[in-house]
Formats: sequence, structure tokens, C-alpha cells
Amino acid sequence: MQLAVNTLVLTAIYALIACGYVLVYRVSRVLNLAHGELMMLGAYLLLMTASQFSGHWAVAIAAAVGLSLLVGVLVYLFLMRKMTGEMVLAAVLTTVALGTLLRGAMVLIWSARQHYPAQRLEFTNFAIALPGGARMSLCAALLVATTVLVYGSLWAFLRFGRWGVRMRAAGQRPLLAAQRGINLHAIYALAWGLSTLTGALAGMLLAMDQGLDQTMATIGLKAFPAALVGGLDSLLGALAGALIVATAEVLLIHYVDPLLSEVVPFLVLIAMLAVWPWGLFGTREELDRV
Amino acid sequence: MSTPLLTVAKLEVVYQRAVTALQGVSLSVPRGQIVGILGTNGAGKTTLLRAISGFHGIDDARVTDGSICFKGRRIDNGEPHLIARAGIALVPEREKVFPNLTVAENLTVPAGPRESAAERRRREEQVVEFFPKLAELRSRVAGLLSGGERQMLAMASALVCKPELLLIDELSLGLSPVVIDDLMARIVQIKRELGIAVVLVEQSAAVALELADYGYVLENGRTVLDGEVQRLKSHADIQEFYMGRTSAGARRSYRDVKQYRRSRRWYG
Amino acid sequence: MSRRPRASGHFRTAYAQDLRLIQTGTERWAMAACVVALAGLPFLASPFLLDLANQVFLAAIGALALMLLTGYAGQISLGHAGLMAAGAFTVGILSRELQAPFWMTLPAAALVGSLLGAIFGLPSLRLRGLYLAVSTLALHFLVVYLGGEYESRRGYSTGIVIDPPAIGGHAVSGGLAWYFILGLTAGGVLLLCLNLLRSGTGRAWAAIRANETVAEALGIGVAGHKLLAFMVSSLLAALAGALFGYYRGFVSVEAFSLFLSIQYVAMIIIGGMGSLLGAVLGALFVTLLPYGIEAALRTLPGAERYAGLLFAVNYAAFGLVMILFLLLEPLGLVGIWRRVATYFRLWPFKHRPLTGGQR
Repeated sequence: MQLAVNTLVLTAIYALIACGYVLVYRVSRVLNLAHGELMMLGAYLLLMTASQFSGHWAVAIAAAVGLSLLVGVLVYLFLMRKMTGEMVLAAVLTTVALGTLLRGAMVLIWSARQHYPAQRLEFTNFAIALPGGARMSLCAALLVATTVLVYGSLWAFLRFGRWGVRMRAAGQRPLLAAQRGINLHAIYALAWGLSTLTGALAGMLLAMDQGLDQTMATIGLKAFPAALVGGLDSLLGALAGALIVATAEVLLIHYVDPLLSEVVPFLVLIAMLAVWPWGLFGTREELDRV
Repeated sequence: MSTPLLTVAKLEVVYQRAVTALQGVSLSVPRGQIVGILGTNGAGKTTLLRAISGFHGIDDARVTDGSICFKGRRIDNGEPHLIARAGIALVPEREKVFPNLTVAENLTVPAGPRESAAERRRREEQVVEFFPKLAELRSRVAGLLSGGERQMLAMASALVCKPELLLIDELSLGLSPVVIDDLMARIVQIKRELGIAVVLVEQSAAVALELADYGYVLENGRTVLDGEVQRLKSHADIQEFYMGRTSAGARRSYRDVKQYRRSRRWYG
Repeated sequence: MSRRPRASGHFRTAYAQDLRLIQTGTERWAMAACVVALAGLPFLASPFLLDLANQVFLAAIGALALMLLTGYAGQISLGHAGLMAAGAFTVGILSRELQAPFWMTLPAAALVGSLLGAIFGLPSLRLRGLYLAVSTLALHFLVVYLGGEYESRRGYSTGIVIDPPAIGGHAVSGGLAWYFILGLTAGGVLLLCLNLLRSGTGRAWAAIRANETVAEALGIGVAGHKLLAFMVSSLLAALAGALFGYYRGFVSVEAFSLFLSIQYVAMIIIGGMGSLLGAVLGALFVTLLPYGIEAALRTLPGAERYAGLLFAVNYAAFGLVMILFLLLEPLGLVGIWRRVATYFRLWPFKHRPLTGGQR
């Protein structure tokens, strides 16, 4: 039973991070390899707002979430926008560079030691007892709930919201969308903002659960195979991919070798690439220019 | 005589800083009129429409000389979405709808002028009235539509933007004569009821000369002939090159046409 | 075969002439001067500088490998560190377990490298750009995991010690000897790359990078050439890793982090994509940058408190420099170099040649 709970929590983590990759890729065809670092930035922002608004955890969280949205939009406006029209390779390398810069900057600003945002927020993370003798921490439960909420709202937004439909259109045929009056830069900025927001939520909840330090960005990178396994441009696929990767990871760690945790997502990825390269639910396409 | 809606003056367009697609094209579109643009493949017709509606960064195409004026304001090298919001809508030759969205979603996508939700819904209804077939196909995915239905959807989604000028690239390409007749009737209806000006680019001279009020002929990136459609229809060169008729009125085999002798007339 | 302006009066009338590496008399003198300078440097330099030069040579080999793959065949690789680790670990394992001499371990490392290249390059054949990047990332984590497993199983908690290679009974040691070995190897690799690019393979890669569909239509086996690019690149990377192992006398997993992959990517971005000279310049810049940063930290007032977080400063500096180059100077150091050279070549004329296809 504990294994099932662990799988559920890990699936939620990977899914919440993966939808950030999918959002940016689906709308602007760019692979944002800085997503892990942006996720970590969200957690550090929570640390900052927690110090500012200590005692009012709702305000602190809301402020951090708002700031993350802003960061995503700014990253697009000041950096990625300059890369439109260039090759995809250049855009992806720019995200790699951004990630590296952020990693260094975060350590310089907040130092490399472990932080505990939950403590600053005066938030106690107690364990919930579940049937079958399994246990889950409150933050983990919140994380699962948040993932469900985020996926539900995103799906509804993309399916029924006017701007959601416009985002899907811009992802398919950017030129036609522009010819129909859609400001592509605004759409891309929105996609980046939402992507950073969802990543930051994941980062914040993880930080409240386990503490915050340098290694969090690696989790971001491990979630990437989940997005790819499901097909980089499908939200449903990200969910399915997260489930598959998380299940594989929990089982292999438990029964084979705990050291495998870093590499399992990528093994699943390689298997997927060899057998079904477009992912479970992705659309088959050619990728070339941004 | 009122000022024309759109004026293109000596337009020069270059692709990738190497290929000159248009070398000095001039035309003007009066309000509420249909202007036809004829020409063979590679004459620069599509480039002209793309230049008017705005180039996106990817093509690496630029207007390098001349000007395009819409309602008195210069729009050459403008951003496509701003030009669309200013009142020019393009129905492209290929990639004219969003294939993975339904017909209804294709109609909600265009971003027209600022207005209330009720006004927007009313306009969407109004547009569908022009193309009643679309009302039945609302939940069909656009990629599965037939050629004629796709063209109708493309025109409908262009109209949702509330344009004053509609640019249509290759209306009749790949469509059966029945469908073409139907679309032509709708364009006349649109012009009459909405007062929209239309620039129609066509390879089929029959369609262009029947719909248009005024016509231009492009060749190798230049305008070589223009005039009222009545005059064009009886112009000897048009008759020979586009209709296959000799000066005697009879249809001739293309083998008999001595192109090189005639071509001197174009620039004379 | 470049479109840069050439010295006036120099006309090429035959294909063989066009393909020659050194074409004018001036170039011949310049080359000779370079060789003399490089050969004489070690006798005048301090041990610290010698070590620096050796590091640059090693980096150059790795950078050239990556440049072939990314700059020419147009495939992204983020697993470069993994390939180097594979080469280093092959050397370490073989020399530790089997006491194999260097003339066995080095080819073995190269073989392992090219095999890994084939395995991880295969998935990319059906797909484009991004998928190879992802596949190489997977390669990195896998190699690092396997290396870590080996270390812990064998009890080498801090890493594997490697004896220096022995030639004719004499152990190779000392900065001077390594300088010439690494320098000659780097030169050899450069020559190999230059020749590859001048050949039909190089032209095929250029065609694939420009437009895959058209290349396929012209009869170029796209899949085969992509795989070849990846295998050659991996082979050279593994070789670089193997030499690194011998040079340092020590191999451990920590030395081959993702940051190392990013450093190599930085080398080709900063150097300028699509140019072998760029790979070398980039290797030079990136190898020297951390030392420059350290020196800056020591001299700038108020910056001492960051001295303890040197790795973070390095990260931030690398990211920043890469972004600056990507945004402002996409042609890299080579672009700057060529602008300067063109200015002098064309002086007193100021006219710049038509851009069009300039990369």
C-alpha cells in the first residue's frame, strides 16, 4: 500500500512539472530546459515572501505564485522573444544557458545550504495515516490535490476558454493565427508565465515537504522524460507519462537498487524513444524552426 | 472620387535578401469594389497579398521599396496581427484553417476589434448566415472538411475579424465548378451586404474577370496591364493568353500561339 | 571553399586548389609562425601555464568533437560529459583490472565511445533536433550511474587511480611531455576534422543541416550520415576523456557532471558554430574563464565573500556569457575574428560583402 501511495505522490510531482514543459512546447515549439531551475526559483521566491509575510501563509504563497507568473512572462519578453525566427537549436541552447545562470545566481543570493520554507511559514507538515498502514505527509496530499486542480483548470482553459483555443491555434499555425489578429508574443508570454507558475507550485510544495536546496532542479530534469513519454504536446500524455515513469521508478528503487532513482526516468525514455518516438499521445510532426 | 481604401505604390519585395519577387507593383482598391489580380505561376500574386497582410519573421521577406497605404496609413512591413486588427483579412492559398480545431473553434479564434461578448456572438452568427453549410458542421474537426467546405470556413473566419478589405488567394484552386459558382455568388453577396472591398488573386481568368470590377495582370513581379474588366475581357492579349481565343474569336490550340512575337506588346 | 573575401589576385582554377587547406603564401608563413610559437611556448612557460595549455588541448579535442556534431551535422548533444566519462572509465577499468597498456586502452576507449554513439544516436534517426538532445541527456545519466556503481562496488569511493602510460619502459610524466603529446593529438584531431569536412561526408552533413528532405531527395543517406556524425563525435569525445584520465592520473564520477556538458556546449556557442577555429577559440575561452573569474574575485573589492562559492559564480558567469553571445554575437568569437580580418583584408575599402549565406 505504501508503494501505491509513493507512486501516487511521485506521479503528481512529475505531472505537475511536466505540464510546464508541455505548455511551452505546445505553444511555441521550444523545449524549455531551464524549467527545473525556474521551478527552484519559485521555491526560493516563497522563502522570500515567507520572510516578508511570516504568519500569513496564504498571502505569502499567493505573492510567490504571482511573482513566478511574472518571472515567466519576463523571461519570454526579454530573452526568448529575441530568439523567434531562429532555429530551434538556438532557442533550446538559450534555455540551457538561462538555467545555468539561474542556478549560479540562486546559490549566490540564497547560499547553498538547506532552507525550510515551511518553518518560516509556521506551517506544520504532519503525516496523514491512510488505510493499509500507509502514511502520506500533508504537503504530499496538497501536492496531489494541486496537480489535479492544475490539470483540470488547464484542460478546461485550453478546451473552452477563448484564449485557450487561441493558444492551441497559435501552436498549430502561428502565421495564420497572426493573420487572424492574434498577437503571438502575448500568447507566448502567457504560455511561459503559466508554465513557470505550475513549475513554481511544484517547487514550493516540494520545498515545504522536504526542504529546499540545490538539488531540486534535478527533479525538474527527471520530469522531462515523463513529458516526452506522453508526447510533448499533450497534457493527457504528460499525465500518463508521469504515471509510467513514477511507477517504474518506485518499483525499481524498492525491488532492485535505490541508486537507480536518478537514471530510471531516462531508461524509460530510451525505451520509449526506441519504440514509439512521438510519445503516447503526441502528434507526429517534424520539428525545425521556432 | 473618394480616396481608395488601399494603395500600393511601386512595391518591391525581396526574399532572403536575394530573390526579388516583386519589382515595382502599383495598384489601388476603391471602397466596396472587387479587384482581380491575374497572372501565371511565379508572377508574384501571392507575394503581393502576403506583403499587404504582413510578413511573419520566418520567411525573411521584406518590402524594400515602395509603399502600401491602407486608409491613409502606411502598413508596409507591419506586424500581421496589427494589420488584421486594422481591417485587412487574408484568406491564404494553403494552410487556411486550423486543422485540429473544430469549425466552431475556428470561428472563435480570430481576434477582431474590441467589443462585447454579445456583439461578438452576433457577428459570428451573421457570418455563418453567409455560409449556411457551416452551421451543420459546427463540431466537425476542420481537417476533415472537404475542399469547398474548408474554403468557406476560411472565408468565414476571415469575416469574423470585421475586415474592410478581404484578400483572397486562389479562390478556385482545387474546387469543382459547382462549388466555385456557389462561392462566387457568396462573394458578390458579401460585397453587397457588408460593403467590403475584395482583392481576388486568381489563376483562372474566367472566375476573376466575372467577379471583378477592375483587374490587374501581373507578370514576373510587375503589373503589365490593368483596366476595367469590360475592357480587359475584350483585350486581344488577354483573350489570346488567358482565354485561348484568336482575334477572330475562335479558340486556338496553344501550339499556334507565337508567344515571343506578342510579348513585345506588354511593355510597349 | 568559403565565401570570405580573399587576398586580391589569388585565383583558384582547379578543384584541388580550392580544397587545399593552406592556399596563399601569407597563410603558409602564418602557419609556420604558429607552429614555431606553439613549439617554443613550453620552454618559456611556468608549470602552471603548461598545465593550462594542456587543459586547453584536452578541451579543444572535446570541443572539436562536439562542433562536428552540433555545428556541422546540426544535432544537439547534451551528453558530452557522459561520453568523456565513458572513455575515462574504460581506461580506468582496463588499466586497473587487466593492467592493460595505453595502446590497448586508448583504442578500447575510442571503440566504447563510438558504440555508445551508435546506440544513443539510433533513436534520433527517426526524429529531429530535440529528440537527440533528450537521448544524449539519458546517455549522460546512464553512464554516470554505471560509473558510480563501479566505484562503489569496487570500493573506490573517491575514484580510480590510473598509472601514467609507459612508452618503451619510461613513464610519461611532467607537463612538458604531456604538452607535446596533447598538442600533437589536438593537431591530429583538427586535421582529421578538416579533412572530414572537405570530403564527401562533410558536404553531406552540410546538405543535411541545410535541408534534410532535399538531401534525402538528392540521394544522400540521411540516417547513415547522421549516425556517422554521432559516432565520430562520440569516438573523439571518449578519446578526450581517456586522455584526460591519463593526464590527471585519476578518474571519478564527480568530474563528469552535467555542468561539464554545458561547458562544452558553451565552447561551441562562444567560439562560433559551424567553424573548427571556433571550437578551438571556444575551448581556449571557456578553459581560461574560471581562472579569470577567480582572479577577478581576488582583486575586486568586496567580492571576497563570494570566493567560497566559486562554483556558483562560475555557473552564473557561464550562463551569462552564453546568453550574451547567443543574443548579441551569434557567430561567436569566430564572427568577431572574421570581422576584424575582413576589415584588414578589404582596407582601405569599407564595403562589406553581400551577406546572403554567411554563417
